[in-house]
Amino acid sequence: METPAIPHDSDAALVAASQQGDTDAFGQLYQRYVRLVHGVLLARVRSTEVEDLVQDVFLRALPRLRDLRDASRFGSWLATIARNIATDHHRRVQTQPESPTDSADPDEQPMKSSSLGTSSEAAEILECIRSLPEAYSETLILRIVEGMTGPEISARTGLSPGSVRVNLHRGMQQLRQKLTQRESRGAIESKNRTIG
Amino acid sequence: MNERYKKQAEYNEYLWDGSGKPDSEIRALEQVLEQFRATNLTPPAFPRLDLAPQHSSWWQGISSNGRTLRFTAATLTLAAITIGLLLSLRESPSLPNKSGWSVELTKAQPESPPGVSTPGKKTQLQIGQAFETDSSSKASIAVADIGRLEVEPSTRLRLLQSSQGHKRVALDHGTIQATIWAPPGEFVMDTPSATAVDLGCMYTLRVDESGRGLLHTTLGWVGFQSGGHESFIPAGAAAAIYPRTGPGLPYFEKATDALRTAVAQFDSANDASNDPGSDAVTAQRATAVRIILRAAESRDALTLWHLLPRVSESDRPTVYSRLAALVPPPPGVTREGILRLDRAMLDSWWNTLDLGDIGLWRRFEQGWSGSLAGSGTVRKLAPK
Repeated sequence: METPAIPHDSDAALVAASQQGDTDAFGQLYQRYVRLVHGVLLARVRSTEVEDLVQDVFLRALPRLRDLRDASRFGSWLATIARNIATDHHRRVQTQPESPTDSADPDEQPMKSSSLGTSSEAAEILECIRSLPEAYSETLILRIVEGMTGPEISARTGLSPGSVRVNLHRGMQQLRQKLTQRESRGAIESKNRTIG
Repeated sequence: MNERYKKQAEYNEYLWDGSGKPDSEIRALEQVLEQFRATNLTPPAFPRLDLAPQHSSWWQGISSNGRTLRFTAATLTLAAITIGLLLSLRESPSLPNKSGWSVELTKAQPESPPGVSTPGKKTQLQIGQAFETDSSSKASIAVADIGRLEVEPSTRLRLLQSSQGHKRVALDHGTIQATIWAPPGEFVMDTPSATAVDLGCMYTLRVDESGRGLLHTTLGWVGFQSGGHESFIPAGAAAAIYPRTGPGLPYFEKATDALRTAVAQFDSANDASNDPGSDAVTAQRATAVRIILRAAESRDALTLWHLLPRVSESDRPTVYSRLAALVPPPPGVTREGILRLDRAMLDSWWNTLDLGDIGLWRRFEQGWSGSLAGSGTVRKLAPK
């Protein structure tokens, strides 16, 4: 039986070329997987620190590439490196929650879905997503922040399409609950301020 | 299917792959969170690391020519002995394998025969043993499970320690590219000239037998120590190494030629092989300091911070003023304190340079104290 030819631009071919020291091939893998790595990191560390860590992930992955036996596991292998780097980062740096780039206005109205938009709200929502169970937060960030589709997330992470679907739906369900609670809390605080 | 379920299914498809009717809440989330998306991220310059064993075609060339084959047989035998000697692991052959590091030859002499130093062949480097490459061989060493050393030709190193949390080698001469992914402070490299420090994830260290050399950091940052001198070398920076005086002034490689030249002049004036009290050396040092201060831009705060403890007391106020103009000292750091080289104040000022938390280094320094004295060492610090 003939072995099917591997397209020269397939992930497997690019991983094999990279393992031979072809840095251009590794550059192509970077382009394909940078959103995955960015998303995995964003689920764990502050957005301002993610960009540097993305570079660390790829620079750390390159010399270890020869230890990767199964090229089809490149995505999950890279995601593991990203998670480890995020963990190392937390050990070194005192973790702080995402802070908005603009100052929070104490009189700001509580968030409603129709009024989403300020950096402050974005930072709070990102924190809400991060507070979800890891499998949900990571998958939701890849979908909603990085703009990857479910099939892409499945292909890049090696998770089954079913798992990705479950993570997306359960994650979204929990996120909606958290946003609703947050909205209610905001309304109560606003009311208290008005009374006070 | 009733309308409610049909609508729900459409929303589910939108969440799955963006098809179907957009869910207004998900759309709103996508829009507001878009600012965090990975956009226009430029890939770093990936170094060529000789990841795979390089298979030369020397054998094919030789075997296609019977005369050449016979002619080279004797040479190959001799080369086998030479290569075997070069690659032999010496000094304590009876140590257990579990603490050894895997060594793989990635490039051999063109004349090397199969089975002796074949690229890809692996061996073990044990604690106390030395490893040496000849002028045309390269090797790759797995640093336990925490990193990799790419060993360039004409390099000699020794494995000193490989215990949990502490890995240590001595680079006697040659060039090593180190990539370490262990937690900060775990990997230490001795050199003949500079003592002790902890390094970033990726760096190149070159040193000759006299102890002169250069350290360049690609990723993370590096601490370098010798006697009373400490140098911290962040990614994109380098520092020369000198016999006895150890690490020179670190400088960013993007610094102006004027600054880099002046740094080299200052370092060589400080080199212990010179008479530090001679008029010529004093003048050379003073000229170099003047040029460094004039040429320094904000990124060169790195160099100026290191200059503070190395200049004379009379020159220190000028260095302080220039550094303060580039990076104002943080609250609690006073001119008087810096002029008397108060360590806490110097450390506090370093931390405002945003080149790495010096507290990490101080903790590792304590952890390794007692074992750092003596020969020069390099240690790994966390990436910034």
